[in-house]
Amino acid sequence: MNLCPTTAHVPPQLSREGSTRSIMLDVIVALLPSLGMSVYLFGPRVLTLTAVSIITCVLSEYLYRRLTGKPDTTRDLSACVTGLLLAMTLPVTASYWAPVLGGIFAIVVVKQFYGGLGGNFMNPALAGRMVLCTFPHMMTTWSDALHWVPVFGAPVDVVSTATPMSYLHNGQLPPLEFGQMMMGQHGGAIGEVSIFMLLLGGLYLLARGVISIRIPAAFVGTVALLTFFTPQAGSGLEWMTAQLCSGGLILGAFFMATDYTTSPVTPRGHVLFGVGCGVLTVLLRHYGSYPDGVGWAILTMNCVVWLLDRAGMPRRFGVRPMTLTHQWFQKVGRSLSAIRFVKPKFHHPIHQQGTMPGEEYLDQIKCVLPVAGTLLAVILLISGVHSATDLDTARQEHQMEQDILSLAMPDAQIRTETPYRSPNAISISAGYSGSDLIGYCVEVQTPGFHGPINMVVGVDLDGKVTGVAITDHQEIQGMGTQALTPAFLNRFVGRSGTLSLSGTNAIDAVSGATVTSNAVMTGVNQALAVVANLDKGENVNYTDGEV
Amino acid sequence: MGHSFFGGIHPAARKESTRRKPLVHLDIAPARIAIPLDMSTGPCSIPLVRVGERVKVGQLIAQADGEQGANIHSSVSGMVEAIQPRPYPWGDTVPAIVISNDGNNTPCSNPLTPLVLDNISQEDILTRIREAGVTDMGRDFTSAYWKILSARGRADTLIVNAAESDPYITADHRLLLERGAQILLGTRALARAIGVQRAVIAAEGDKLNAMEDLERKVRKKDIRVELHILPSRYPLGGEKQIVQAITKREVPPQGAALDVRCVVFNVAAAFAAGEAIAKGRPVTHRAITVSGGAVNRPRNLWVPIGTPLKDLVTAAEGFRCQPDLMLLGGPMSGVTLQDLTAPVIKNTNSLLCLADWERPVPQKPSTCIRCGKCVYSCPMHLAPIFIHRALRAKDLDQLERLHPQDCMDCGCCSYVCPSNIRLVQSVRSARILLQKEADK
Repeated sequence: MNLCPTTAHVPPQLSREGSTRSIMLDVIVALLPSLGMSVYLFGPRVLTLTAVSIITCVLSEYLYRRLTGKPDTTRDLSACVTGLLLAMTLPVTASYWAPVLGGIFAIVVVKQFYGGLGGNFMNPALAGRMVLCTFPHMMTTWSDALHWVPVFGAPVDVVSTATPMSYLHNGQLPPLEFGQMMMGQHGGAIGEVSIFMLLLGGLYLLARGVISIRIPAAFVGTVALLTFFTPQAGSGLEWMTAQLCSGGLILGAFFMATDYTTSPVTPRGHVLFGVGCGVLTVLLRHYGSYPDGVGWAILTMNCVVWLLDRAGMPRRFGVRPMTLTHQWFQKVGRSLSAIRFVKPKFHHPIHQQGTMPGEEYLDQIKCVLPVAGTLLAVILLISGVHSATDLDTARQEHQMEQDILSLAMPDAQIRTETPYRSPNAISISAGYSGSDLIGYCVEVQTPGFHGPINMVVGVDLDGKVTGVAITDHQEIQGMGTQALTPAFLNRFVGRSGTLSLSGTNAIDAVSGATVTSNAVMTGVNQALAVVANLDKGENVNYTDGEV
Repeated sequence: MGHSFFGGIHPAARKESTRRKPLVHLDIAPARIAIPLDMSTGPCSIPLVRVGERVKVGQLIAQADGEQGANIHSSVSGMVEAIQPRPYPWGDTVPAIVISNDGNNTPCSNPLTPLVLDNISQEDILTRIREAGVTDMGRDFTSAYWKILSARGRADTLIVNAAESDPYITADHRLLLERGAQILLGTRALARAIGVQRAVIAAEGDKLNAMEDLERKVRKKDIRVELHILPSRYPLGGEKQIVQAITKREVPPQGAALDVRCVVFNVAAAFAAGEAIAKGRPVTHRAITVSGGAVNRPRNLWVPIGTPLKDLVTAAEGFRCQPDLMLLGGPMSGVTLQDLTAPVIKNTNSLLCLADWERPVPQKPSTCIRCGKCVYSCPMHLAPIFIHRALRAKDLDQLERLHPQDCMDCGCCSYVCPSNIRLVQSVRSARILLQKEADK
């Protein structure tokens, strides 16, 4: 008697209420608190940006499926989720074409080219965001919280602020309260600032069984562990808290890394994936040139999902791990023993005259070997020198930057780029103490006695000089350099207006170095004029970031 | 208490409609019953009665053929009308003894004598269990006699499986609650017959009231039977899962519980063994849950073997609406019925008539989104998603590495799949494909 029921009645006769659509809907619901908080923090532009992003994603999915004659899949809401997530990774000051470009790339190139939902191997939203990182200026201009950005028009007059991530990247603790960090009262991408709201959404997803705790826990846990033991400022706990609460970590761990399609399906694979993301995030934050590394870490781990799936495959039921290991070793042993060392056969028999086998190839061997050896040695030498020096060069540059800043504007901790340009200045950058703008650093060039003198002049918001730092000069040692000593340069501190060597607003020149003194003073005057004109809006060429 | 197993799902239990309803006899005795001769793994039993002969309740009407067969007794009194192929619950026809019921329930004139467990030998128990025609009465079909014989000297644990992890079914729950004493006796008898020291009755947390009652009995009489209460999760009732949950041992691939020194009997079998010894009653009746939204009065019934299924619907006061789906067994692992002509057999535990609102409308399968829910709901540690993909790609090497032959058809993967992919079917096809390939 065959007890096997006919295949028409394959169990189960029940299935869980739920579909791809309901899962995507859950994700959207979970993201809403964070989005709402962002509207409060950054203004209604958040909503318009998000809308543009969602519409772009849904529309490009619809059009692609329509044009290629495939069934319409916009009803599963996955494109909607991609659009929402993409918007959440953008700064609120981003132009409207940014989500359009990112959305099209995410949906068409990353998702649909690979067969649509379930086929892509990279998180579409993150990939879209990373394409936009080719516009670094736009993607790193952060508006401060509670300064609403206008909905329309280029957000030109927005004061760029330093995010907690940029402090951490410079090895400092961000000057923020824990509550501010949790509620997102600081600059950052739309969706990533409010940790509390994100956790709320994450808990919702966990409670609804949409995501498992394994990936977020492994991800956040790894970052916590690694940062706790390697604090660069403050105690381990402070450093860890700051690292966890800043950047896109929570958004990434709960909403990006848990993306079904681009994460492993096996439970052990989940844990490995999370740990990998965590380690990469910490490394990228520490050594990368971008402040935050969450996105890159997740995208990188997306590429090893195939491997993790196989590494994390559940052990066969009823087979003990020891047996499995034993079987594996047996298999490897068999494979290895299948390799046979066959005696090389020479096509030409050994000549009786005394020629050795392979003698006619000797010349080729003779010339190939030294060339290969030389090449190898050169490669080793170059890579050795490169690895030995490159990092040091970068560190020195960073140290120099800090030295200049401490001379030009001792109160500021951070110097960031501004969109301002002036014909009289090489560059204009803004100095921040905490998240407050305290002044501008203007780099100017003036003709000295022997050549141009480059200097950075710090000017505070009241138009007073905060310091002068000489970055490059060709003055003669012992003569012109007398006017480049800190003692002389300090005479400028606190001065404003237009300076001269004599008269009311006078600076005493250094005797014997009058030309150089004059050059420095000219430079300071130039810088003061540039900053004064910044406020008046005259003669300042504003250029957008794309130039 | 107890360990657990990997995976599993939590379907809505829906046991409330019957869990408080006691086991009752049918209000209207069936006019005609058909007892199939194939109710064990062995060959069909040999009929001992002729057409036209009068039979009484409990009379031996067919004898076991070989060690794997089982004796069959009449469950009603009346006249043998025919011995002919009749419909079978699994859609085929098998020879059956058709008896017209006279409604008198005249007991058999030479019944088995009641025995006292403590005064009889191991062989006496075994003989009695064989005489009474006890089979496993769970999902399994095996005759208890054969099971005990093959387990002797190879087992150290007897597990009496009272876990009904399928939704709706409460027959075993009621049995455990109402006939606890016989179940304890039967468990002890089975343990002695096999010769194991450790006997465990395992039930889920939703049977706390019954287990508590048993616990009191066990304490009072100082019986050496362990009671395990496990968190309910489907498929706890599966043999491999209950063995894993109780003993932490995993049944090796293609193996049975005996390979890890365990014997699993259904609680109904333990009850039948207890009845056979204490009262000398052979297996003529069994507990059945008739439930589902399509019947007017869901209830637990004490039904003579051989009763046509439509009489059960009559006992449940007919259909309230057109049943969307009729099932023998639970909605997770049961079989669908085309009609109700088949009879109740020894391992029928429920008849479910589901209304259309009780289950989601079967959706068309959409593309896999790699959510991985099938992987972490599979109690057999399989990866249905990869089996599905390898099957589509006809990648036999890959399929072999994923061992689809381990699947036990519990249906968890299909249940959880948000894309409604029929994963159980895929795994089954993969199994058949591999089998074909191996036969070549």
